[in-house]
Amino acid sequence: MSQPENKQGQVETTGHVWDGDLREYNNPLPRWWLWAFYITIIFSVIYWILYPAWPYGDTYTKGISTVEYTVEGENGEEKTVTEHWNTRALFTKNMQSSPSALAQQEWVNKVKDMSFEEIEQDPDTLQFAMSVGHGTFGDYCAACHGAGGQGKIGLFPNLADNAWLYGNSYETIVSKIAGGINGMMPAQNVAEDKIDDLAKYVLSLSGNAEISGEAASRGKQAFASCAGCHGQNGKGNEAMGAPNLTDAIWDVADVPGCKGDTACQMEEIKHVVNNGIQRQMPGFGDRLTDTQIRMLAIYVRQLGGN
Amino acid sequence: MSTNAVPVATEQYNYGIVKKFAIMAMIWGVLGMLAGVYIASELAWPFLNFNIAEITFGRLRPVHTTLVIFGFGGSALFATSYYIVQRTCQARLWGGSILPEFTFWGWQLSIGLGVLFYMAGYTQGREYAEFIWPVDLLITVTWVAYFAIFAMTLVKRSQPHIYVANWFFMAFILATALLHIFNNLQVPVAWNSLESYALFSGVQDAMTQWWYGHNAVGFFLTAAFLGMMYYFVPKQAGRPIYSYRLSIVHFWALSFLYMWVGAHHLHWTALPDWVSTLAATFSILLLLPSWGGMINGIMTLSGAWEKLRTDPIMLFLITALAFYGMSTFEGPMMSLKSVNALSHYTDWTVGHVHSGALGWVAMISIGSFYHLIPRLWGTTLYSTKLVFVHFWLATIGVVLYIVAMWVAGIGQGLMLRAFDQYGNLAYTFIETVSFMHIPYVVRAIGGAFFLSGMLVMGYNIRKTIAGARQPAAAEGRDAVAAAAR
Repeated sequence: MSQPENKQGQVETTGHVWDGDLREYNNPLPRWWLWAFYITIIFSVIYWILYPAWPYGDTYTKGISTVEYTVEGENGEEKTVTEHWNTRALFTKNMQSSPSALAQQEWVNKVKDMSFEEIEQDPDTLQFAMSVGHGTFGDYCAACHGAGGQGKIGLFPNLADNAWLYGNSYETIVSKIAGGINGMMPAQNVAEDKIDDLAKYVLSLSGNAEISGEAASRGKQAFASCAGCHGQNGKGNEAMGAPNLTDAIWDVADVPGCKGDTACQMEEIKHVVNNGIQRQMPGFGDRLTDTQIRMLAIYVRQLGGN
Repeated sequence: MSTNAVPVATEQYNYGIVKKFAIMAMIWGVLGMLAGVYIASELAWPFLNFNIAEITFGRLRPVHTTLVIFGFGGSALFATSYYIVQRTCQARLWGGSILPEFTFWGWQLSIGLGVLFYMAGYTQGREYAEFIWPVDLLITVTWVAYFAIFAMTLVKRSQPHIYVANWFFMAFILATALLHIFNNLQVPVAWNSLESYALFSGVQDAMTQWWYGHNAVGFFLTAAFLGMMYYFVPKQAGRPIYSYRLSIVHFWALSFLYMWVGAHHLHWTALPDWVSTLAATFSILLLLPSWGGMINGIMTLSGAWEKLRTDPIMLFLITALAFYGMSTFEGPMMSLKSVNALSHYTDWTVGHVHSGALGWVAMISIGSFYHLIPRLWGTTLYSTKLVFVHFWLATIGVVLYIVAMWVAGIGQGLMLRAFDQYGNLAYTFIETVSFMHIPYVVRAIGGAFFLSGMLVMGYNIRKTIAGARQPAAAEGRDAVAAAAR
């Protein structure tokens, strides 16, 4: 059988032929390929010498590379621990002594004993608070309250306006973040013939509707059962988180979404009155550090324009 | 072309089964890539989920991967392996007419049922092994039949030696059987329930899954397609394989090394550190054996480079090898722990997979099909120009896709590890997500390019087959034998 000429003129085919014309030259392994393969073997052996690698019995080769970190001894003194390279020790070490961990620790220590007012007044510590708050809010709060804290009407309160259901003292904000909130308004049992007047009366408190004469007095009468929480004048009660109904800021009933259509606005109000409100925010006290919660409180208060 | 072809009659080989698998590969390919473009668009524009559970990203994603890997890739492998084993053994497919038919229907039914179940919400939740247990059983039976057919055809070959392509197919069939069985050891909730629990748990389960996951890449998407390459590249080039010795060395190195590397998918997790190290180093060791196939393919064309100017099929085959070389370089780099710390959980991984899946697997299959299909039907290709068009659509598509994913993945990786001057993380997770919107749009466009290329191919192949069926084109069945060389 004929053998095709190799270009180099030195290598023959193996002599096997398949399917009419399939042949194979018997070129040697490319030298660069072979050497590169040897280099990867050397690389791997070095890797094995440095790091945990081969299992034997019920253990494994530990490698000669080590990781150092510190632990607190029995008497509170710092002790240095040296372990063979492993990812857990590496994590501990990075959390203790990486440049970013050190930088963060410095700022955490700085604000630890400062009051909220002091932190706010020093532009540097305020910047730090905003930096912590940005990350913490984005990862823990934004999923419900929105990236800018704008909330979602009917579901999640808007944190970017300057209306505070529970007030805006730092103590309150911190306790709500740590302990969570049960936002609850019981459903009201308002008679059919009174509920329209009540809805209109509530709208009139914020100037969204006009009501006068007998209708007004019927509405006001029906509002008596609301006044226990929202107050006689409808200005709300921060202690129980009852919103101010006179400020034209709507958190649950989507009055702005009605675009001035009074019938639609009344439906929104009636829905809330008839069904009540059940909103829950989980507490983050177990998931965030004290510093994170305090800085977050400053961030949230800033969002609201304070 | 050599003139000493062994004269063969069509009846000598079972081409019917090859044709069926080839056509189904095209159909699944188009459907699977369509699903891919759609889910890529869902990531860029989430409203496309339309709140319809069946078409949400979570359910369509396994539909996409199953259709392209097992529907398109698997059917293409059945088709080409049945074709190659017959022609290089000079023996008709073993198993009469029934058994090969059984593998066809078993495989197609598995794919079809599998994806319908995913859309209905039934999945094992194991990446690339989402098939629920009854479908797994059907696949197992089908695969055993496939093994028997392939092995017995080799046994009754009338050639003294087994051609290199068949080594790779055999390794692929054996390894896939092993992987499929061990990764699908599931305990059904009840005999009449579609739900099941994995036999293993915790880190053992994760390791089993990624031992499977990476060897699906290694044996299904690499070794088997190298088998395809070893036949169609020298055939299309009309030249001998560059080096028999290299093919032996890289075959055994590849087969030995691949089995160790799966755990590199689990760096920086609960996985023991020593397992991580072994997975990383074996991945590095795998680089040159992987490249052995690329060298053997590309060097086969050495001395006939001018074919790349005139022969778009050769262009597909050689470009596939180039992408293969690139992604088998990228893979070992990403498996190093320090690089992986940046790349893991980002779209860099997705881009890497697609440079292999689109650039290598799809392109080598496409090139092989343009060679294979006219020969199966005993005709010539309807349009070579359209093959050029397809080539450019596919290449632009892959490049857009990979570059978009590099930007998205490396960008997100860097953002997730960026600290500000106070030592706080500079970006929230959601900021990294919104950063990826533009790359996601570009990726969807890249995918659309690739899909449109497949549609051009579908049209070209339809016309080719239709032409073969017209009496004018069928100048006797002798043409079949001549063209089938």
